[in-house]
Amino acid sequence: MGLVDRGRLPKPLTSLFNMGRSYSLWVYQWGLACCAIEMGAAFGSPRYDVMRLGVIPLPASPRQADLVVISGTVTDKMAPAIKRLYEQMPEPKYVISMGSCANCGGPYWDSYSVTKGVDQIIPVDVYVPGCPPRPEALLEGIVLLQQRIKNEDMGARWRGEGTKSMNIVDGESAEKGGVPVVVHN
Amino acid sequence: MFPLSSTTDTPTEAPRDTVREAELARILEALGAGVVDSLLKPNDDMWIRVTAETWRVTAEKLKALGYTYFGYVSAIDWLPSPFGKSEDDASGPSGERDSTIKQGYAGGDTRFQVIARLVQPFTTIGINIKVDVADEVMAVDSWSSVFAGANWHEREAHEMFGIGFNGHPDLRNMYLPTDFEGHPMRKDFPLLARIVKPWPGIVDVEPLPGDDEEEGEAS
Amino acid sequence: MTMLGDRQQLAYIASQAADARVNVELETEGMTLNIGPQHPATHGTLRIIARLDGEQVVWAEPSAGYMHRGYEKLTEVRTFPQVTALVNRIDWLGSFANEVPFILAAEKLMGVEAPSRAQHIRTILFELSRIANVSLFLGDLGVQLGAITPVFFAFRDREYVLNLIEGATGGRFHPNFDRIGGLKDDLPAGFIDETRVVMKKLRTFCDQIEDLLFGNEIFQSRTRGIGVIPKDVALSYGLSGANLRASGVDWDLRRDQDIPMAWNKTDFKVITHPDGDSFARCWVRLQEVRESTKIVDQLLDTIPAGPVMAKVPKIIKVPEGEAWVSTENPLGEMGYYVVSQGDQGPFRVKIRSASFNNISIVPWLLKGVYVPDIITILASLYFILGDIDR
Repeated sequence: MGLVDRGRLPKPLTSLFNMGRSYSLWVYQWGLACCAIEMGAAFGSPRYDVMRLGVIPLPASPRQADLVVISGTVTDKMAPAIKRLYEQMPEPKYVISMGSCANCGGPYWDSYSVTKGVDQIIPVDVYVPGCPPRPEALLEGIVLLQQRIKNEDMGARWRGEGTKSMNIVDGESAEKGGVPVVVHN
Repeated sequence: MFPLSSTTDTPTEAPRDTVREAELARILEALGAGVVDSLLKPNDDMWIRVTAETWRVTAEKLKALGYTYFGYVSAIDWLPSPFGKSEDDASGPSGERDSTIKQGYAGGDTRFQVIARLVQPFTTIGINIKVDVADEVMAVDSWSSVFAGANWHEREAHEMFGIGFNGHPDLRNMYLPTDFEGHPMRKDFPLLARIVKPWPGIVDVEPLPGDDEEEGEAS
Repeated sequence: MTMLGDRQQLAYIASQAADARVNVELETEGMTLNIGPQHPATHGTLRIIARLDGEQVVWAEPSAGYMHRGYEKLTEVRTFPQVTALVNRIDWLGSFANEVPFILAAEKLMGVEAPSRAQHIRTILFELSRIANVSLFLGDLGVQLGAITPVFFAFRDREYVLNLIEGATGGRFHPNFDRIGGLKDDLPAGFIDETRVVMKKLRTFCDQIEDLLFGNEIFQSRTRGIGVIPKDVALSYGLSGANLRASGVDWDLRRDQDIPMAWNKTDFKVITHPDGDSFARCWVRLQEVRESTKIVDQLLDTIPAGPVMAKVPKIIKVPEGEAWVSTENPLGEMGYYVVSQGDQGPFRVKIRSASFNNISIVPWLLKGVYVPDIITILASLYFILGDIDR
């Protein structure tokens, strides 16, 4: 893939790559608290069945994952482990912050031991609000992330210019690159 | 079990609890001079306060008396919070805050007290045991050789209140990161998030069922 | 059964002989195994550091605190109704059950008693949250022991119970439905009929799990005789709930305690098992789900009419005093020691959570077991991290 390495990727090829990437997301489940059970319901239960979205929730290690779902309260003791996990993941990597605790501290906003939001440690792509969010909300977060991946300029990422959008308008839900998305529920 | 009493018109006779009265008498006899104070609330619970020297012996004697089920060991800081009560705004001016210590059941002389609970298995008769922790010593004897379960509870109390437990095998930190400073459950430990930003939930008025005079203002 | 026992005995002797040979031939060097802080087999963020000699654990120590959120401190800066929303999240699988002992303690201090209809509904929701909690345990148990099917059954049937809780309270997970003096609302229309149907489904679920898992030979040989807790050790560590009853202790706070809930109006069996091993703990929990469905059915038949809220002032000030209330929660005895000094918020709340005591036995229990048994023992002890760390 010489074209990719040189950072010059024609748009049709990018679209093809992005299509492939967005429908084969390997998710690492970083279940921490209450939200982990709702994440388990979304990923493991026959009712919500996340695999129909092209998401595979079974990697054995963060080194094989494209996406990590941080679900639950992040404590100051846990924060270094999360940072290390994120650094172990291969690029391109995405983060979904699930639940109020991971978003901002939630009910523990004044606690002495809770990190007020996982975005203080690692960059977040999609925020899913709720305490805990319903499994459907997490599924919507994944769909939003997929739309975003479809719209991403791979060449810019390779050139080290960060996440940029390709400016392909995909309905009303096209998201600008680099700006976190919030699920509205 | 509890009377539905907002009115205190007719003086009823004080409820009797013969089972707990007999139990408390038995305990007081066994512990002897170690007990400083005791309290019995009929059909509710028993409290005793013992001297710091007899803290460990109390556990042994109570275990011999049949209180073999270990409930918990923890501590109480009786200092009123310098940051105000829960309904106060910690970010506002501190003003005149009352700092007189108001002790609970079975009294006390010091700011810190260790409290424990033991239960007689297969009944619900339990006893709350308190002991004063003198400020200059800040330690009591450990119960971990009497009740194995006390080990972790004492580690927690040590971390949260800074109270030492003599004879404990391993008083390591249990919850907090190793570089954490201070003892969070002490009343003078500030919750910084509350001080920098006022808490929006200070007013707590929730309309109750069958209660509609507040409806108009809610919007 | 005896066949299996003999085979186990032979396997044990063979492994001991192999160990002895290896120990003579090779000087084995110890190894430290770190499990966690985030590991799929630990129900959350428990970290276990084990010192191994070959396959055997010499010493193991759980390292908690990765989920410590400071509940006891936060209750001191909340008012009584706000604390309910907070304590919901301690044991996040059986949320409603966490509210009840706290509310009962506050009611005890205020001298208020909920109307009997509210007590009934509280008990129904309490048992529903127990069913939701333990049914996930039964599914998860399979995953941890290498059987993936039960978890799909559990998630499927658990949804029915969550739907009921959501229908009644508005929250799937954290209802925050209990109020001092009663409940926020009455039951919705159709709840009783729907619950009866779901309870039938849950009994079928129990039968399926019993067939799938408990009758399975591999499951039995992995759990029988593993992690035996004798009665007196269990008491001195303060174990509670199914862990205690699996050691042959016939003690259930639902039956043995006189608190203003509706359990004493129902007829149910307290399940015990004499063995005290991992199998016994799992089996007791399975049977308790069955009993819970029966309790719910009985309560649905006898639910009295009337209000669901007693008269309490709008701004709740709890009089000075101290109170201890504990109930038989899904994980074991959960108690609150509430100290009030006459303010809107509690002065001190000691939360005695079941898992904290249940897991403090782990260093004692893991000594000398084999590595795969670590997972079996932890799974059978059944803890929730929020309940350990609070």
